[in-house]
Amino acid sequence: MTTEQFTAVTVEPFGDSAVMVTVPHPEQAIRRTAIVAFRERFLAHRPPGVLDVVSGLESLLVEFDPLQTTLPHVEYAVRLLAERPPVHEPLRARTALRFAVPVVFDEETGPDLASVAEELGVAPTEVVEAIAESTFTIALLGAAMAPMMDGLRVPRPVRRRAEPRTDVAPGAIMIAGTNAIIQPFPGPTGWRVVGRTPYTIVDISRPEPVSFGTGDVVRFVPVTRDEAAALGADFLLPVAEVPV
Amino acid sequence: MRTVGLDITRTGWVTTFQDLGRRDTERRGVPTGGAADQHSAAVANVLVGNPRDATLIENLGGELAFVPDADVLVAVTGAPARVTIGGAPAASWSPLVVPAGQEIHVRADLALGARNYLAVNGVFTAETLLGSTAPDARMGFTQALGERVLLESGFRGFRHSHFAPPLFRLPVPVLPCAKEGPWLVDVVESYGARSIPGVRELIADSSYVVTARSNHVGLRLDGPVLHPDTDTEIVSHGVPVGALQIPHADELIVLGRYRSLTAGYPIVGVASRASLPLLGQAGPGRELRFRWVDRETSVRRSAQREDEVRALERATAEAFGALGFAGHLIHP
Repeated sequence: MTTEQFTAVTVEPFGDSAVMVTVPHPEQAIRRTAIVAFRERFLAHRPPGVLDVVSGLESLLVEFDPLQTTLPHVEYAVRLLAERPPVHEPLRARTALRFAVPVVFDEETGPDLASVAEELGVAPTEVVEAIAESTFTIALLGAAMAPMMDGLRVPRPVRRRAEPRTDVAPGAIMIAGTNAIIQPFPGPTGWRVVGRTPYTIVDISRPEPVSFGTGDVVRFVPVTRDEAAALGADFLLPVAEVPV
Repeated sequence: MRTVGLDITRTGWVTTFQDLGRRDTERRGVPTGGAADQHSAAVANVLVGNPRDATLIENLGGELAFVPDADVLVAVTGAPARVTIGGAPAASWSPLVVPAGQEIHVRADLALGARNYLAVNGVFTAETLLGSTAPDARMGFTQALGERVLLESGFRGFRHSHFAPPLFRLPVPVLPCAKEGPWLVDVVESYGARSIPGVRELIADSSYVVTARSNHVGLRLDGPVLHPDTDTEIVSHGVPVGALQIPHADELIVLGRYRSLTAGYPIVGVASRASLPLLGQAGPGRELRFRWVDRETSVRRSAQREDEVRALERATAEAFGALGFAGHLIHP
């Protein structure tokens, strides 16, 4: 990842205690990778008074305490970090974790498989193949720590459901656009449900409820119902570390 | 320190452990959460000598009552409420001693505010998720109170003669939950307002009513709105607490502390930090009006509020010290 990709950032004030940072660029892929890179750098050099950040697909919301710092200070720090690579930045030595997520892809676990296949003009088995052959990278942790991933290789982006589902089971594998996400808890979704993993994705009884983070790599491995039953609801753990 | 048991004899619609929310978890998809009315929660804790962010009890609607098995130091804040101890009236927004075996009873009027906070000197025995006792319903972390809750407290009662002047005269910054008329909420404009011509004036001139579909994710308001002309897709992004969002339907949503990324709706403004506690008290039927303020004014109000709470911290530390305690009763 090159640093000059985000030499210019847009900083938009958002209320009295936040700014939204975006990287203007005609190419979506660059906007997205650049903001992830910026986020890493910003968190590694967090300016005083910054409370937290919220990742969007193409943005970073920076929340600060306006009684500890001021908007111009935060804005200045953001621009400085975007323009000047910090001296002590490690040479991309970070290692990502690699996950292999077993998934049952059938009509019951993936009620939207058939409609996605129809939309893409292929057979449902080919949709499963496309998902299994894609290598996903976790772009951000969405609601309730759900891993939101980029990297679905399909002929064209998958549409969302016109009518959202109201109660999707935990472990559901869902796709939309070229993204995939795993549903950690029962709840509603507008994404297309294509399969389900037996694994526990988020375990709130653990001090660290998830084992994954932004930048980690995920593959989905099709398994049969019996294989899934044999695996049980184990907590999802990485299979390996990979240098990035 | 000793372990004190509280027998919970009544609970409201939603009665949970609560604190000021999670820190540093939004980057991992877990909203900060915590008390909807942060001011009342912090003040309740200060009034009993706890750190501001100590775990306390939040009661949404209805009654709340308990009987302690040892003397405890308690404060009730939030919405105006009728408080009794052993049947005798007691003051809210003040330190109170509930003697062992006596029942403290809190009854709020929903028309005046949605939530009450009840702090007890000491440390509640409560589960945490990512370092906080605040519930997170989406993650299955409900934090509902059981029939009996436990507390570690160093409180041993005050040395105070009945003939002495009142125990405390503290500068308490009471949250003003006006009975009549609309509540005024300060809002700082954000970029979404520029994409909808006239929306700023419309919101300033209109009145909005909180509907029953509101929850911890957001207040849903009935009232006039305008929509952007273009249907440019807004990519999902993070939003601050207090963001005023216009969904596709004709309503206005004020996002709360349990919001997640936007589903791509325009955000026309963000409620001032100093106005958020009042929004945390706005229940169904409450009329709200919005007033646009600049960022500087907004931050200044926030600073005033902070000064008031600090003044209270100093005053309680002094008062408790005069009664035989050295500063705060517990040290985290």
